[in-house]
Amino acid sequence: MSSSPAGAAADSVQKVYVHGTAVHRSWADRSASLTDLIFSATRTALERASIRWRDIDSVVLGAHDVTDGRSLTSMVTAPAAGAYLKDEIRLGEDGASAFVLGTAQVRSGSCGACIVAAWGRASESDPDAVAAALFDPFFSQPLGLTEITVSALRAGAALARYPGYQEWRGPAGARRRAAAGVEARRPAVQLPLRSGELPVWSDIVAVAVLSAQPGPVEVRGVGMSTEPYQVGDRDLLGLPALSQASGQALRSAGCAVGEVGVLELDGLTLFDEALALEAVGAASAGDGMRVLAQRSDINADGGFAAGYCAPAMGLVRICAAAGRLTGGSDLALATGSTVVAAQGQAAIVLSRNQGGG
Amino acid sequence: MAELTADQEPVPPLTIAGHWDFRYQYFAGDAASRFFHELGNGRIMGTLCPQCQRVLVPARGFCDACYVSTTDWRQVGDRGRLETFTILASRFPGLPDPPVVIGYVTLAGASTALLNFVLGLDLTDVEAAATRLLAQPAVEVRFRDQREGRITDFFFQLADA
Ligand SMILES: [Zn+2]
Repeated sequence: MSSSPAGAAADSVQKVYVHGTAVHRSWADRSASLTDLIFSATRTALERASIRWRDIDSVVLGAHDVTDGRSLTSMVTAPAAGAYLKDEIRLGEDGASAFVLGTAQVRSGSCGACIVAAWGRASESDPDAVAAALFDPFFSQPLGLTEITVSALRAGAALARYPGYQEWRGPAGARRRAAAGVEARRPAVQLPLRSGELPVWSDIVAVAVLSAQPGPVEVRGVGMSTEPYQVGDRDLLGLPALSQASGQALRSAGCAVGEVGVLELDGLTLFDEALALEAVGAASAGDGMRVLAQRSDINADGGFAAGYCAPAMGLVRICAAAGRLTGGSDLALATGSTVVAAQGQAAIVLSRNQGGG
Repeated sequence: MAELTADQEPVPPLTIAGHWDFRYQYFAGDAASRFFHELGNGRIMGTLCPQCQRVLVPARGFCDACYVSTTDWRQVGDRGRLETFTILASRFPGLPDPPVVIGYVTLAGASTALLNFVLGLDLTDVEAAATRLLAQPAVEVRFRDQREGRITDFFFQLADA
């Protein structure tokens, strides 16, 4: 045991590994309840992790009451995610934030294995109406602000400032359109955003199983940050919370973004994805749309167009990143944005565990 | 007693409707109450952060970037540039019939942007309107004749309209 306080701290930090993940996407499957979907995805993740449910110590959930249409939704849904007689944390935040808390639980030594689950079922609700209810009743709701509206305002600011965004939105959007699901499941067009730049609503459950036991993917660093609530106070193009969260995650992982081979960045629309690339430092200011157009490996599953529903998406990106690491790359950065209109951001750096697991 | 096994005939899946309709009353607090009151006087007010010296609009009781209480009140100007916008194309409860333009403007003397409706634009061709708005035109504040102490007491009008 080290005699120095710093050494003692380093010795006591538990490594955290991702053992199994599952992402289930569906749409209005009337044969399955929300809890059926959560149970199914969680069982799948446990099977892939080869970890028995009884060996799970804690469960961290990311869910929204208004999205689920169930007041205090986790009362209803937590057992489906395996929380019966377990240590359980409920977050009204994106799944990436839940993943950060799950990591903290394992890293602290307070639990050995943890389920992180997040979901949203857009087919049971009206995502735009739900989003409108998130904004304050004095300054925003009377003007019709929604999550999509803020993304459209962000797109307007980007188009006004960066010529490259107009130039490259077509090619960047084309690949997302190729990956897209059903057009009817997109929200109404809000110029300057165009239809193909908008998300395709989906029913999504994402689950990751974490453990202190060595596994195929290690959680190397995490970061979280929050911007002002008032959208008029925010730097809509700079996404400073994302810069800060990803910077913190990269620093704690001891690597630079240039060394990261896998980028899985949550964004509600094409413009949010492009600006996220800039915020994490993978593109210079104004160049995010070009990079998104030219790199097919960013959000390779199609990102927002492959099916979207808050607050599952950060965990979807983490699961995708973990999967791509086992496919060959050594380092991954995954991010998740949270309500309202990407006010909060969480970032996670994962690495392939060279020793296997 | 009847026994059910897994291979029973399927039954039609059940779907039920849900709807939330709760009543709330939201307390605006000192700063927002004064802000809305001053709209009635045809003035848009911000509060000054004594630390970063930003004039925060709409007015509020504290600066979240410095985490200190705001002190003085400042009236801000009635002109600015439309920094960004969106055109709402679908009908939404409580909003005018679409298409509706909303946008952010940092008014003269303010440090933060303010959201409101943008009027004075021909919206028969929304694509053409969007192109025009991307040029970030100058706008000015117009107060409605009938004011009720709400954010909708004023709007932004294109200055050259
Ligand atoms: Zn300040």
